[in-house]
Amino acid sequence: MNSIIVSALLGVVMMFSGIFTTNKTAIKNVAIAGLLILLFANIADTYGWYKITVDAKGMLEFTRFGLLFNSIAIFSTLIYVILSGSDFAKVGTYVAEYFALIFFVLCGVSILSCYNTLLMLFLGVEIMTIPLYILAGTDKKNLKSNEASLKYFLMGAFSTGIMLMGIALIYGVNGNFGIAFDIPAPTSPIPNYGILLPLGLLFMFVSMSFKVSAAPFHFWTPDVYDGTPAVFTSFMATVVKAAGFIAFIKLFQTHYFQLLASWKIILPLVIILTLFIGNITAVFQQSVKRMLAYSSIAQAGFMLFALYSNNDLSNEGILLYAAAYSFATIGIFSVLVKMKDYTFEGFNGLAKTQPVLAATTTVFLLSLAGIPLTAGFFAKYFMLSSAIKQHNGFFMVIIAVLFAAVSVYYYFRVIQAMYFKQGDAETTEINGRFKLGLVLLAALIILLGVMPNMLLQYLYF
Amino acid sequence: MNKLVYLIPLFPLIGFLINGLGRKSLSKSLIGVIGSGAILASFAVSLVLFFDVKANGAMAVNPLFTFIQTSTLKIDFAFQVDQLSCLFLLIITGIGFLIHVYSASYMHEEEPQHFGRYFAYLNLFVFSMLLLVLGANYVIMFIGWEGVGLCSYLLIGYWFKNNNYNAAAKKAFVMNRIGDLGFLLAVFWIINKLGTVNYHDVFAKAATLSNFDVTAITLLLFVGAMGKSAQIPLYTWLPDAMAGPTPVSALIHAATMVTAGIYMIARSNVLFSMSEFTMHLIAIIGLATALFSATIAIKQNDIKKVLAYSTVSQLGYMFLGLGCGAYTGAVFHVMTHAFFKALLFLGAGSVIHAMHHEQDIRNMGGLKKKLPITHITFLLGCIAISGIPPFSGFFSKDEILAAAFAHNKVYWILGVAGAAMTAFYMFRLYATTFLGNFRGTHDQEHHLHESPKAMTIPLIVLAILSVIGGMVGIPELMGGHHELHHFLSPVLVSEKAYEIEHSTEWMLMGISVTIAAIAILFAVNKFSKKPEMQDAEGFGKVLANKWYVDELYDTIIVKPLEAVANCFKNIIEKSGIDGAVNGVGKFVQYSSRQVRLLQSGQVGTYILFMVLAFVVIVLIWINDGHIYRFITKLF
Repeated sequence: MNSIIVSALLGVVMMFSGIFTTNKTAIKNVAIAGLLILLFANIADTYGWYKITVDAKGMLEFTRFGLLFNSIAIFSTLIYVILSGSDFAKVGTYVAEYFALIFFVLCGVSILSCYNTLLMLFLGVEIMTIPLYILAGTDKKNLKSNEASLKYFLMGAFSTGIMLMGIALIYGVNGNFGIAFDIPAPTSPIPNYGILLPLGLLFMFVSMSFKVSAAPFHFWTPDVYDGTPAVFTSFMATVVKAAGFIAFIKLFQTHYFQLLASWKIILPLVIILTLFIGNITAVFQQSVKRMLAYSSIAQAGFMLFALYSNNDLSNEGILLYAAAYSFATIGIFSVLVKMKDYTFEGFNGLAKTQPVLAATTTVFLLSLAGIPLTAGFFAKYFMLSSAIKQHNGFFMVIIAVLFAAVSVYYYFRVIQAMYFKQGDAETTEINGRFKLGLVLLAALIILLGVMPNMLLQYLYF
Repeated sequence: MNKLVYLIPLFPLIGFLINGLGRKSLSKSLIGVIGSGAILASFAVSLVLFFDVKANGAMAVNPLFTFIQTSTLKIDFAFQVDQLSCLFLLIITGIGFLIHVYSASYMHEEEPQHFGRYFAYLNLFVFSMLLLVLGANYVIMFIGWEGVGLCSYLLIGYWFKNNNYNAAAKKAFVMNRIGDLGFLLAVFWIINKLGTVNYHDVFAKAATLSNFDVTAITLLLFVGAMGKSAQIPLYTWLPDAMAGPTPVSALIHAATMVTAGIYMIARSNVLFSMSEFTMHLIAIIGLATALFSATIAIKQNDIKKVLAYSTVSQLGYMFLGLGCGAYTGAVFHVMTHAFFKALLFLGAGSVIHAMHHEQDIRNMGGLKKKLPITHITFLLGCIAISGIPPFSGFFSKDEILAAAFAHNKVYWILGVAGAAMTAFYMFRLYATTFLGNFRGTHDQEHHLHESPKAMTIPLIVLAILSVIGGMVGIPELMGGHHELHHFLSPVLVSEKAYEIEHSTEWMLMGISVTIAAIAILFAVNKFSKKPEMQDAEGFGKVLANKWYVDELYDTIIVKPLEAVANCFKNIIEKSGIDGAVNGVGKFVQYSSRQVRLLQSGQVGTYILFMVLAFVVIVLIWINDGHIYRFITKLF
């Protein structure tokens, strides 16, 4: 409960800080301090040092898994703010409000990791996404930003409608909003769940697929990510998306039994389609930003494996994946924000002009591509091995690996541009602290790639 | 004492690292001191160990650390010091040291950087060779085995600016790799059948192997030995290996590395003695090699080539001994051969040095007066290799021939014929080089000089060893004790005893010595006055061209392989694999261009797609898993 309350309070604090000062660095520092407090509060909650307890009547359930995810999300946000926080000012003047919105998003994230009823799920999703509609449109004078905001809102509203429909159907059957069902014993004859419950779950499935941009409900992603100012795309594509996955998994961990055999064909279809659309479309993109939007769809395809295998290994895997993916993407976006030109050509010769940026970006890209010695490798490894363990899903694993090979193509295009093409990539002014931050982040990714248990041990201890 | 074992290979390794890393900054004299000093230190430790083993018997296996561990197999990085490895240690470090000292002078014209490279390689070689003989299991032996192969490759191609030398290095490497494959397969076979590679365990469990397994394992091991020890059909690399600096030829291609095959078979004598078939094959191949290369040596005019073929021939004798079960004899011959062949190579090096890199003996002659020490020592070496008593070669060769006689009389007759040829071509070499008149240019004659002390002292030491080295193996027939035999008997447990009547044995000795002596006199008489200056004709031309074996290999193996490779390259690689790879890339790009069009930018279209997808999902659900069951049936 600590993180829900503290993040909501900090959001208010940030809003007020905008009244007292217009100094952007000061606001950024307040936000960093706030994030550190939030992180500490969440860790205190995890280990029971200090807990704010409000009786939620069983609507929230705080598990080690959810709290650890909170820590990862908050930590990612912290990195994000440290690396890109000073670029908020480029988007518009209301920097304090942007930070406030980010804290509200984190509040939604904290609810999503710990919800125990469909009502809280709905609240969490809405608390998380509504600030994003605003963030997407922050570049008010830019038509693309406006378009992104409106599209996101329209389609988000559509998916919210679907989710409400699903919740209503399930409520109609159960008479309550709980998500904990009795799981039938494997030996018992197949129970008949009727029509309403499975149909309701299908509605939920579609809606959640929309939130994590799984194909064919991904259409909003490229347009929105591309139109949104790059600093905020970074946040949307990482912390928010990972939170969506945590909610998705929590919901279906106990529910997929109701869908029985259809589940075994719907989910693999969605995974394969997501991998296909994400990876294949990314190949042709000319803009690195748009490529990263498709790459986030492709990575979602991998994260869906956690849903597919649904065992201990995949639970560990999704946390590692969330961390690896968020860290790397935040790193790339923080570099991207500094670039004058977002196309692949814009990166030409970056290795000559900014060797540190090029080297760290290379580490981030390698991690996204899942090359060994980076965190991304173990993340993918956990996902695929859990699939084999659970279902003997060799077929799925082979497809996933093939698409991972395709992903190398577009990730390495950036590396190729930076190192092997002539040109002088132009960047805005880059200070030493930013470089240091990038190097530390790259080191963290490599460290996780060598010792993934460094993170995963917190699940158990 | 046991604790000191690891020092023996450690010194050369350190020498290798220092010389290899510091080759650009260290001075030449320092490099020489480090390189030779490392080997001297190893030699000292080896001596200590040797006397310890001699007094107290073999030591226990000495594991340093676990090298490989799986659930069913544990391989230690362990050293085994026993009588056999001790003897080899002394040969390797002792002769190795002399050759290092010699090299420091022989290679003095090299630039410091390359000089350092040379000594680094040489130390690395000694390190690998020591691993080979010290290893307590087949895997460690294999590491050394590969290591010496690598160093041989590097040193043959030491003057890498000459492309012919590079080709020779490559040839040696590839030929060795063929043999190594056999060795490796044998090790896998052993692991598969016995679950261990430790010598102790393998030999203890050997009796449980089926006849077929033993034969297969020993044959594969022998293939490895064929490659490393240059036996038919894998011998052609050794003569080409003479491209390397002469001290390298002496160390690697005469005294040590090429005897690794003999060491391996002697080490595995328990296994080999279990397979009659393999033993017969070894004897036949050894004898064939001994004769075949002896015939080639008769018509060679390059001083090093003669010695190279002579080495192949002598190795053949060692295999003949192994094949007849006379393991001690073979090891004995390894030792004496190491003395006199190293001596001969170093002597040749001294001649080449004096003649300014002239190697054709037709341009030499009469070097007797100008190079007195080289001349005397070389002559002693020639007598030793020809098997004249009481020089060392006589005792070891005689032991092998006696065993051959006990085994099969035809082997003995052919062996003596080979020995006669050996005496003939060695003294042809000696006479053409040292006797008669000088036939080189005036310039060469003017510069003729005896080599410096650093080169002549190793020659003298080796000459002494060549003369008296046989004393450790004086047969009981002559009132000796054959100390080597007693020393090695704990290791060479499957030594086959043979009984020949004393009178017969005296007679055999007499015959072989007489024939050798006649061959010597004939050769000296013929070539000291009138050396062969013309290119050989008729049958001699066949011999001079090495029986056209290289050409034969080229036609029946290399050319067809190249044709197949070209076929693969042009057809399968270009259109098949490249086509597939590029095709996949093109397909991905094409589909990317098409799929991208789905992203139209129209919210209405997006929502339409989403609704359609939802309808499909609901349809799948209504279908209730029939599709799934259908698909699972299909696959």
